[in-house]
Amino acid sequence: MSIRFALAKGRVANQVIDVFEKLGYVFPDYSKDSRKLVFTDKTGEISFFLVKSPDVPVYVEKGTADVGIVGRDILLEHPADVYELLNLDIGKCRMCVAAYPETSFNYDTKIVVASKYPKIAQDYFNGLDQPTEMIYLGGSVELAPVLGLADCIVDIVETGNTLKENGLVVKDVLFDISSRLIVNKVSLKTKEGLLELIEKFEKI
Amino acid sequence: MLASYTIDGFENIKYQGFGKLKFIENRLSELYERYGYCQVEPPTFENYDFYYDRQDVDRNELFKLISSTGKVLALKPDATLPVARMAAINHHDPQEIIKFSYQTNIYKDFSSPSAKKETTQAGIEYFGGAGPACEAEIIALAMMSLLLFGIKDFKIDLGHVGFITSLLDKLYLDGEEQAEILGYIENKNLGDLENFIAAKKIPQPYADIIMELPRLYGSPKKVLERMRSISVSPRMEAVVGRLENIYDYLKDLGLEEYLSFDIGFTNRMNYYTGTIFKGYITGLGEPVISGGRYDGLSATFGIDRPACGFSMDLIGLLDYLNQNALLPESEVPKFILLYDEKNRKEAFKICEALRKDRSAEMFLNAPGIVEKILKNPHYKGSQIVRLGETSCEIVERGDWS
Repeated sequence: MSIRFALAKGRVANQVIDVFEKLGYVFPDYSKDSRKLVFTDKTGEISFFLVKSPDVPVYVEKGTADVGIVGRDILLEHPADVYELLNLDIGKCRMCVAAYPETSFNYDTKIVVASKYPKIAQDYFNGLDQPTEMIYLGGSVELAPVLGLADCIVDIVETGNTLKENGLVVKDVLFDISSRLIVNKVSLKTKEGLLELIEKFEKI
Repeated sequence: MLASYTIDGFENIKYQGFGKLKFIENRLSELYERYGYCQVEPPTFENYDFYYDRQDVDRNELFKLISSTGKVLALKPDATLPVARMAAINHHDPQEIIKFSYQTNIYKDFSSPSAKKETTQAGIEYFGGAGPACEAEIIALAMMSLLLFGIKDFKIDLGHVGFITSLLDKLYLDGEEQAEILGYIENKNLGDLENFIAAKKIPQPYADIIMELPRLYGSPKKVLERMRSISVSPRMEAVVGRLENIYDYLKDLGLEEYLSFDIGFTNRMNYYTGTIFKGYITGLGEPVISGGRYDGLSATFGIDRPACGFSMDLIGLLDYLNQNALLPESEVPKFILLYDEKNRKEAFKICEALRKDRSAEMFLNAPGIVEKILKNPHYKGSQIVRLGETSCEIVERGDWS
């Protein structure tokens, strides 16, 4: 039985596919524009599929994928019962609060927060005893303060260029993020060859 | 239609699955009975106050309701708690050996909209025995419960919470920090575990031993050897001895090939005090069996007695057995007789005689009746016969004739 990976679509997936290639796995069907959903390597040992990042822990928890590679931000926002075996050196960024430089937080008035990560954002502001109104957005979160939907945003920041172009600044850093290699709890114990493969990953 | 009558997280077990579920339940209760376990049925409702201060059950996950006298009740989220209480109420000698088995529904995960909220469990509990042989018997029966249905590709993964807790006792962490570090160990989260150890300045040799814990899993012999080499207290050595004892017991039964070890299991969010185990079937994403020793639980009901047991997710097992065609198809041949009112009495007689070895149903002969029956998937493969005044006409031969 081949070992199946769930990868979060985007930049990190490309980096992981590079790692696969370094380990000697070749995916003849794969190209960036391919419409295929599941790709299997030449030897049939491993296969992977691409999904939206919040779906990665779901596939791994249920065992449809044995291994998943996804950011720590997603695992904190959508906790799953999986092993978080490796902290990979890819997909590095930070979870930040961002707003216009002149925006100040008053602890006696409610602030409006827009985020793709309502749970993380709420936990953070609860910890500060800051009353908030949380607005969930699916993407382009920077738009919210620009158009006046929210006072601030909680989002991942990599280079900070998007913020700068929109006149926003980082007000606080919540935590560092990198990609994690997560493993289904049953697969780790029952799938042959999985442990060896993870050890190879660890060395890269 | 469906939208207004379906509640998320509850299943309707239809006739196809029901017979198979009963088959599984019967085979299991027979097995447990042969090993001396008496079947009991715990009640559906529990007193909500009981869960008020417990660390092992999350109150947000419970389904609560209010009785006519204003008392808050909960649907039982677990079978072991009520079974332990039943043992405590009726058997007052803590050393008395009591063996119970049960098959019941439990209700939990009410904080998540999509999670399965009602599940059917089977399990056994062994009260009044403190030695490793009791856990070994429980583990052996867990293995036999799967072997019984022809499942061979499985592992019972055994750990012991004492190895970790005896280490943590030396570190003086507060409750929150303990929960955090146990979470990292349980999820084999080496990255965050390393950061935690550095941040809390945990001294050597403990730091190295803790970093080793998530990696302590795999074949029993290998793990035992590693555990022995990193044990730093008599309590840790006692854990190694106990696990070895259980391994030897299962070896004498010829079941050791189904055993693996994982020392990363913790007592976070559960009531286990010693050995703890989970049962995994290859290809099934979630564990089907979980169990262990819970010596402290019965004391909350006033009788301080040692106990161990396991429970098994029967719906998960049923799905697996169905997917892998491991259940016998026990369908009886189906016979359908079309009759007229004039010959009804004779039709009764014919059907009654046939019911010895098949199902026989009668329908009044009316236009379109044959098409109606043929369209119904339930009657697929049935033999259909039309009873005339002087003779019978075979309408459909069916699969069985």
